[in-house]
Amino acid sequence: MDMSMTENATAGSRSNAPATAATTEAPRIAISGLDFYYGTNKALKSVSVEFPDRKVTGMIGPSGCGKSTLLRVLNRMYDLYPGQRAEGKVMMDGDNIIDPGMDLNVLRSRVGMVFQKPTPFPMSIYDNIAFGVKLHERLSKAQMNERVEWSLTRAALWPEVKDRLSASAAGLSGGQQQRLCIARTIATRPEVILLDEPTSALDPISTLRVEELIDELKRDFTIVIVTHNMQQAARCADQVAFFYLGELVEVAPAAQMFTAPKQKRTQEYITGRFG
Amino acid sequence: MSATLTSGASTIPGPGRDHALGARLARRRRMADRLVVVLCIGATAIGLLLLASILFTLLVRGLGGLSLGVLYKNTAPAGSNGGLANAIVGSLLQTVVGTAIGTPIGLMVGTYLAEYSRGSALGNAVRFVSDVLLSAPSILIGLFIYTLLVLPVGGYSGIAGCIALAVIVIPIVVRTTEDMLRLVPVSLREAAIALGAPKWKSIVLVCYPAARDGIVTGLLLAIARIAGETAPLLFTSLGNLNATVDFKHPATIITAFGQAMSSLPVTIYQYAGSAYQDLVDLSWVAALLITFGVLALNIVARVALRRRS
Repeated sequence: MDMSMTENATAGSRSNAPATAATTEAPRIAISGLDFYYGTNKALKSVSVEFPDRKVTGMIGPSGCGKSTLLRVLNRMYDLYPGQRAEGKVMMDGDNIIDPGMDLNVLRSRVGMVFQKPTPFPMSIYDNIAFGVKLHERLSKAQMNERVEWSLTRAALWPEVKDRLSASAAGLSGGQQQRLCIARTIATRPEVILLDEPTSALDPISTLRVEELIDELKRDFTIVIVTHNMQQAARCADQVAFFYLGELVEVAPAAQMFTAPKQKRTQEYITGRFG
Repeated sequence: MSATLTSGASTIPGPGRDHALGARLARRRRMADRLVVVLCIGATAIGLLLLASILFTLLVRGLGGLSLGVLYKNTAPAGSNGGLANAIVGSLLQTVVGTAIGTPIGLMVGTYLAEYSRGSALGNAVRFVSDVLLSAPSILIGLFIYTLLVLPVGGYSGIAGCIALAVIVIPIVVRTTEDMLRLVPVSLREAAIALGAPKWKSIVLVCYPAARDGIVTGLLLAIARIAGETAPLLFTSLGNLNATVDFKHPATIITAFGQAMSSLPVTIYQYAGSAYQDLVDLSWVAALLITFGVLALNIVARVALRRRS
């Protein structure tokens, strides 16, 4: 009810969450009673979950269970498509993200997103990074150079591209392109990073590098990652949420989720009995 | 392996495998394949032969009359050793200005159709009208501009010619812009939007560069088309035997648009049927100049595009 205070919204959502992980810190985003519709098709059913600050939350579940949908609620990507709508509370810093009055460009500068397939823009490596930064900040040339180097370094790509920043980003390998997309996202200094199956198009070595990167980035960013790979969720996530048919079945610390899930459906899914 | 599959597998429905039949079918496929390949090569040969014959005739008939004098002397009556300078200048001016007027309009309409109209009635209507315009006979466009810009003013003018050419450019650019923007993957737009880019910035800074090659190709097609257009100019800029541009006085470049303006296609039209051999020869030179001008433009643009990307 009280939109002005994060604490209250948090407390409210915690009480009706099905099985919230025992986190002590205030959550970065707290979702309560979220419904989502594709036209008349209800894709998320009264989902309540919290994303703890500077932790990695993994979202798992069979295809079509709503995990990517939830991700696209967090940066309002669904707004691009008429007929898609969300109802409920998605609280971040006292604001409801799905409030129609939300400034979407500001929201998206605070909640960055990396997609399944690498999406380098048709421009140079440098400009790929500068593109997002220029949207929200006015930097001098020197400051921009610094930001580009910083973000590429954080994305573990700097040593590979530092001599060809003006080369087209299309010339990078798939794994490098995906790290460029991560660099591009962190360059705008978001608070939350959404990763939608970020390694499903990558080879095992690139996957490993991205996973190491996620581990490194969670010191500064709150990360939400959708993955089909159970091992990846176990390796990267602090907290794991299992979705099935639009419902959040269970959310628990990763260690507990994969060793002693409380719900029967979770156990069946992670042991490979369906999905 | 195959033996067990064919004889032993009773679970596979149908008669047993007939190897002779399989071989016959394979032979028939190979024959059909060869036949189609021969037909394709034949069709290609016919197309290339026609093109080669046109270019060859142009070169043979045109190169003979081509001299430096043609490039700097103005058109003159038969027998007085005239050139094509005013027609070349007129064609360049009208093509450049026509493209400059038509391209931004076509680009914006194409962007509206691809990015903003999304199934709206207005969008469908605009697309339909644009497609009709694309196939409209160019003489109708000439008559339209004649009624709109020549009759009320009471005189033919270069600018009327430019606008008639622009009307031809617009639907070509609309179509290619819309088609090329639609080919830009949704994921690329979403990636730009996800960084907090407003829609117009994602279009201008991400989608246009991604669609650039296709859009430029469409623009080149449009330029090639209007460089050779005759009918729309007959009713608008008419053609002019006198030079209206004097490069020693740059202001005349502007004032020339207020008077009837010469152009290569109209000169070809006027000279080709002439009884005087020197004028007929000049029309061949004019045809050669247009063809190779457009060809050169295409090559330069393509090389430039490749170097940039």
